[in-house]
Amino acid sequence: MSHTDCGMIREYLPGAATDRLSSGELDAVQGHLLSCEDCAAELELIQMLRAAPPAVPTELADHVATAVRTSRRPARRPWWGISAAAVAALALGINVSTEPREQIDAAIPGFVSETAEGELWLSDDGLLAGEPSLEGLSDEALMELLEELEAEGAA
Amino acid sequence: MTDDSRRDGGASDVELVERCRSGDEAALDALVRRHHASAYRVALSITRRDDVAQDVVQDAFIKAFRALNGFRGDAAFRTWMMTITANEARATLRKHGRWRESAIDDVAPMAVDDPDPAEQAVARRESERARAMLETLPEKQRLSVSLRVDEGLSFREIGEMIGSSEGAARVNYFHGIRRLRELMQ
Ligand SMILES: [Zn+2]
Repeated sequence: MSHTDCGMIREYLPGAATDRLSSGELDAVQGHLLSCEDCAAELELIQMLRAAPPAVPTELADHVATAVRTSRRPARRPWWGISAAAVAALALGINVSTEPREQIDAAIPGFVSETAEGELWLSDDGLLAGEPSLEGLSDEALMELLEELEAEGAA
Repeated sequence: MTDDSRRDGGASDVELVERCRSGDEAALDALVRRHHASAYRVALSITRRDDVAQDVVQDAFIKAFRALNGFRGDAAFRTWMMTITANEARATLRKHGRWRESAIDDVAPMAVDDPDPAEQAVARRESERARAMLETLPEKQRLSVSLRVDEGLSFREIGEMIGSSEGAARVNYFHGIRRLRELMQ
């Protein structure tokens, strides 16, 4: 078997270890392995690794789901409050720190579009329930929103 | 199992994300249950500490669900989630420094008292040894091997996750595999 074959076959080996290949690809791999000890040894290593995956803590899913749900509850601390404050402040010319929002952005991969004003995702029972935009709000409503946010910030 | 169209309980990831955006908590639970394990393995591969990895996964999911409107259906939710987790893990390392020596033992404990028949016990120990060796590789090699072998990602997806090109991801993977084979001899 030539090195060219090895190069192609090695791309398939992780798939061969996990039943992710088409029958044609699998035939090609199995045929190659009959005469290539090197690729056979590599497949053995991959199977070895897969036989002892890191154990995932059993409670993790529950803990994460609870934490996410809690973080989305506006009654405690609206996650969107900072963004909403920033948007409201823009409208009113008031300087509000947006640092937490920037921290979030830093963790989100680049292919995610930045959240535009109209896309603010507001909770059902939030201050602006059912209206995912600040555009329609009166100045009074915006002031109310800012006051609530300031009260929270002080708390 | 590697794309966002895979089904589990009748709903694709895209459908679950859509329901989640309108406040459906069952959809949130389903997405977490479906993807927390991949996220955990990514976090563990980078931080090499179970407790730190668990915190990283939790923070990553919180951030991801806050940014859910920024998620576009053209990327698989799972790889999006894993990328956020990888970024969070690196940020955590930057903030707190690295944990080195004890970490490897935590991640791949050797079976001391194995009740399996002899042959299975040997195979098991070899597998655990391979895992322990994997932990000794440089981060990009370690992560490339893990993402390819455990999660079945393409080199393009791995590249996005380790901040490299597709070609660099391929090189890291094959260097990692070659190094592991040397270490296992
Ligand atoms: Zn070969």
